[in-house]
Amino acid sequence: MIKAIGNMIDKMLTGPPQRYQGVMGIFFYVDDATHAVTALRGMGHKNLSVYSPVPHHTIEHALEQGPSLVRWITAVGAALGLTGGFALCIYSVYSYPLVVGGKELVSLPPFVVIGYESFILIGSLANLFGMLALGRLPQVKSKAPYDPRFTEDKIGIWVPCSGEAATRVQETMRGHGAEEVKLHA
Amino acid sequence: MSEELTYEAQATKEDLASPEHVAGTMTQKKLNDDLLKLISVPGPIWWGLFLLDLAILSLGLIAERNQIALGIGVAGHTRPAMWASYVTNFVFWVGIAHCGTLVSAILFLFRSHFRRAVYRIAEAMTVFGVLTAGIFPILHLGRPWFAYWLFPYPNQRQIWPNFRSPLEWDVFAVTTYLTVSSIFFLVGIIPDAAAARDRAKNPYMKLIFTIFSFGWTGGNNQWKHFYGAYLYFAAFATPLVLSVHSVVSWDFAMAQIPGWHSTIFAPYFVAGAIFSGVAMVINLLIPIRWGFKLEHIVTDDHIEKLAKLVLLTSTIVGYSYLVEFFCAWYGPSRFEREMFWNRFFGHYWWAGWIMFTCNVIIPLLLWFKKIRRHMPVLFVIMLFVNVGMWFERFVIIVSSLSHPFNPSGWDVNYRMSWSEAAILAASFAWFGMFFLIFIRLLPAFSVAEIKETLVAPMRGRKAS
Repeated sequence: MIKAIGNMIDKMLTGPPQRYQGVMGIFFYVDDATHAVTALRGMGHKNLSVYSPVPHHTIEHALEQGPSLVRWITAVGAALGLTGGFALCIYSVYSYPLVVGGKELVSLPPFVVIGYESFILIGSLANLFGMLALGRLPQVKSKAPYDPRFTEDKIGIWVPCSGEAATRVQETMRGHGAEEVKLHA
Repeated sequence: MSEELTYEAQATKEDLASPEHVAGTMTQKKLNDDLLKLISVPGPIWWGLFLLDLAILSLGLIAERNQIALGIGVAGHTRPAMWASYVTNFVFWVGIAHCGTLVSAILFLFRSHFRRAVYRIAEAMTVFGVLTAGIFPILHLGRPWFAYWLFPYPNQRQIWPNFRSPLEWDVFAVTTYLTVSSIFFLVGIIPDAAAARDRAKNPYMKLIFTIFSFGWTGGNNQWKHFYGAYLYFAAFATPLVLSVHSVVSWDFAMAQIPGWHSTIFAPYFVAGAIFSGVAMVINLLIPIRWGFKLEHIVTDDHIEKLAKLVLLTSTIVGYSYLVEFFCAWYGPSRFEREMFWNRFFGHYWWAGWIMFTCNVIIPLLLWFKKIRRHMPVLFVIMLFVNVGMWFERFVIIVSSLSHPFNPSGWDVNYRMSWSEAAILAASFAWFGMFFLIFIRLLPAFSVAEIKETLVAPMRGRKAS
């Protein structure tokens, strides 16, 4: 029974075989991968993807990646949290007015704590959802043929292409020190 | 061929001399093997600890059942000390929870690389510590099923919580802390869960890692947004760390009770929380690195740096004790003076002296480098620190409440009941249960971040 469920899980996680069209090059050395990225982008393959166990600044520069847009989503969330926290406190005292000791109903200093905590809470949640949305997570289907070595010590460069272009990409990858180059047609 | 290559072969002399550098002959592949070996079928020692843990937890559950059936009177609360062990435990566990985010977020912002080897354990401790702390205000309600009244929600009576109350601030601070710390913890695990997923053979484990990894592939787009967001998590978590224990301290400081009504409470509590939290991290790291033979990952240097943090915060805590006494002596309030005299020479004199000895005198040993690097001795010192910090909260709460303005209350003293003692023991078991499961189920060390300390493999060829 346990084994049967295990097999089912295995089947579910593996999924049906995917069809990809392009070239996957596997590199060990970071500088080789960086030079390959520069060369491939120079050949016009701007939509290539790089897979690596850790991020490398040299590859990021070669890819000409700008800063993540997640910060804007976070800023909007934080602003909403701050205003929402104060708004909740102010709304609550007006919706059930109870004057104590002749003091003002809206007393901002104690509400600062609620506003501050809400600012952090909603800002962090926006940051999380921004990261997941922009990073396309959770990812059920990989957009390139995945290799488990990418979380170990290998760097993968995936170039979606076909035909003549694929041949040139393979040559370029080999020329830049790829350990393996696989054509997916 | 490439697997046999060691990064040290290409490292510069400065790289190798750096204390952050992972010692020995290490490759990225070997690092995966070393750090992910913790995730395996538990052995008899683990099962023995887990069963002992569950037995203690059961005792606490019996005590709580007793309290629900018979009422809050089974706790030793006696007027005027109506806040006693439960609030002490709450503050203690919030303090323990404090360190994880400090080590992780603040040290991340300051680019202090020694955090990489220790932060996952510290973050786990934070999440489990807050989960433990959060139980105590609910138990202290007496009618825990009404705990949801603490939260603001639209209801037919149009009644809202009192947002001017420090207790309501606490609800917001602690729930925000739990949420943000959990997010920070789980987001950090994503790349490591993917590494565990890629080597898992058991389909059930593979499913768990797939869920925790969110289908991570390590693509450049994922890394970009991951680190983009991680920086902001750290930026949010840092002021949050400082605010949470400040808010907890205001539960007391906003009241007019002698011994509580003090403006130094916020920084004093924050320093105390970091002090006890870092001590607990050391208490957890020493047996883990010894048990799993990870001395080359969590080095003596890492532990020594944490010990220095304990020493620093110990001096801040000791200074705060002295300032409190000075203010009581120099200030105009006779009640305050009486209260502080009572702390060390009154009914609870023993608690006051345990606090002072464990938090101020014993940590002085950490001035010696040999002691900071002697793991068994360090472990024992950290145990004393945690005992001392529990007693600090006991002294602040119980001895202050037992000595109010009205002298008629001075003769009635609080004694801990067996139910409270069982629940206190169960809180450690509750925390331990999560921790034991965590180290066997999820990567207890950040594989991806420790990998970054290795020198990246470079062939050294010029671009063609």
